[in-house]
Amino acid sequence: MTQSGPSLSATEEPINLYASSRPRLRGRSGTIASAISTTVVIALLVILIASPSAKPFREGFLNPHQMWLAFAGDPMKGILSVGKGFLLNIWLSLICEVLVLVFALAIATLRLTSGPVLLPFRGIAIAYTDFARGVPVILVMLWIGFGVPAMNIPVISTQSPVVYAGFVLTFSYSAYVAEVYRAGMLSVPRAQVQAARSIGLSSRTTLRRVVLPQAVRNVLPALLNDFASLQKDTAIVSVLGVTEATHAAQIAAGVEFNYSGYTIASLLFLAVTVPLTRYTDRIMAKDRNRRLAGGL
Amino acid sequence: MSKELGSTILKADRVHKSFGDLEVLRGISLDLAAHQVTCLIGSSGSGKSTFLRCCNLLERIDGGTIELLNHDLADEQIDENAVRRHVGMVFQSYNLFPHLSVLDNVTLGPRRVLKQSKSEAEAHATELLARIGLDAKANEFPDRLSGGQQQRVAIARSLAMNPRLLLLDEVTSALDPELVGEVLDLIGDLAAQGMTMLIATHEMGFARQVADTICYLEDGLIVEQGSPAQVLDNPSHASTQRFLNRSMD
Repeated sequence: MTQSGPSLSATEEPINLYASSRPRLRGRSGTIASAISTTVVIALLVILIASPSAKPFREGFLNPHQMWLAFAGDPMKGILSVGKGFLLNIWLSLICEVLVLVFALAIATLRLTSGPVLLPFRGIAIAYTDFARGVPVILVMLWIGFGVPAMNIPVISTQSPVVYAGFVLTFSYSAYVAEVYRAGMLSVPRAQVQAARSIGLSSRTTLRRVVLPQAVRNVLPALLNDFASLQKDTAIVSVLGVTEATHAAQIAAGVEFNYSGYTIASLLFLAVTVPLTRYTDRIMAKDRNRRLAGGL
Repeated sequence: MSKELGSTILKADRVHKSFGDLEVLRGISLDLAAHQVTCLIGSSGSGKSTFLRCCNLLERIDGGTIELLNHDLADEQIDENAVRRHVGMVFQSYNLFPHLSVLDNVTLGPRRVLKQSKSEAEAHATELLARIGLDAKANEFPDRLSGGQQQRVAIARSLAMNPRLLLLDEVTSALDPELVGEVLDLIGDLAAQGMTMLIATHEMGFARQVADTICYLEDGLIVEQGSPAQVLDNPSHASTQRFLNRSMD
């Protein structure tokens, strides 16, 4: 080979492969570094909460006596139990979740059908989704919860506020969940539908046996996410004077001029929503692994 | 090649089909008798797949007629689900149901359409899976199977409905070359057992082996049809010759 043309690897100059900045701490020095930083952060938190100057904060928000008082309630002082109230949050959200699952599925299916007879219903479904997603839940709650009883319609106007609350939560959340369902159904390839129809399955059976199982699997994390959100939003029911955790905490705060009741109510909500969101994360991770593994 | 053919299963007469301004089928006429195997060859876009999809009403034709067992498919009284019960279709990309096990893929149609009992459907499905050598995979999910195995299950899924006619739409085109053989062997077995089939394919060697009739399609028309020897060895049209020369490379 001649040396006349420019060679592609002419230079023998040494190259530098070392990082120009400080290298990452690894091994034993890494352990020491993380121990130090953890200690510093904990120390800062302790100073923030436990220092003498943080006393008003501790007294107002973290008073154990007040927390217990609010949790258990005290009929003599007119304080309602946050713990008992929270049971209402739980069962209201459970009932609403079941109703939402059914109602949202009907809405989503309706929006994806193509029959000419159903055209006006599709229009209504679209208008409903736009409305329910566009108006704050608390506004709908006030509107229905105070408006409907004021109308003096037999039976409808004489229900308990809990019924209106359940209706409003179902109404609002079904719109979100219907969109989740719809996205899930649209994510199932058309070829799946054609394969199902090609063995003679009706469109209804295709939806039930082929499309929905795959759709729900695809959107399960999103569904669980909406349920964590619904569980939280049962607190909005308090605006109707229903005795649930938030309302009970409000009363305790008013009587005692202390806000530790809100803290205990928050802790109760966290006790439900945190495990639920962790579970959702796990399902999402599992799903991601499944998809990556399935990618031929 | 002297196979005993039966009564007419499918009779297509001057079938037209357009997608928007694009006329994909421009007058296809084709007869298929019981036990007959017809291969449709031709380049992509010649209308092979579209014609197959018209035969099980995945597409509606715009002109001409298709008669299936003496029923005009364009008749408004025709129930498309009933048609598909008797006409099986296997796709290029298998399209197995990923959320169902192999066994459930095969029994879904018999159970939900033919209303067979679970045990009856599973007994028949197990028998079919044994026939294609995949009975050991009955409880696996499709994503655990190779492409060739998936396509064989897809064929079994169609066979479970006891179809009078089987439509195969380029069923080996998505497969790795080393997996093509097992699928073609299975189709060859079906042909030997007398299954009536309409096959769109790019595999000329396979078409020669298995077909009673070969139709060469170009631009939505059947340019030439006849026995494999006639069409593949002595094509009378220049365009058939050109296509074959390109395919043999």
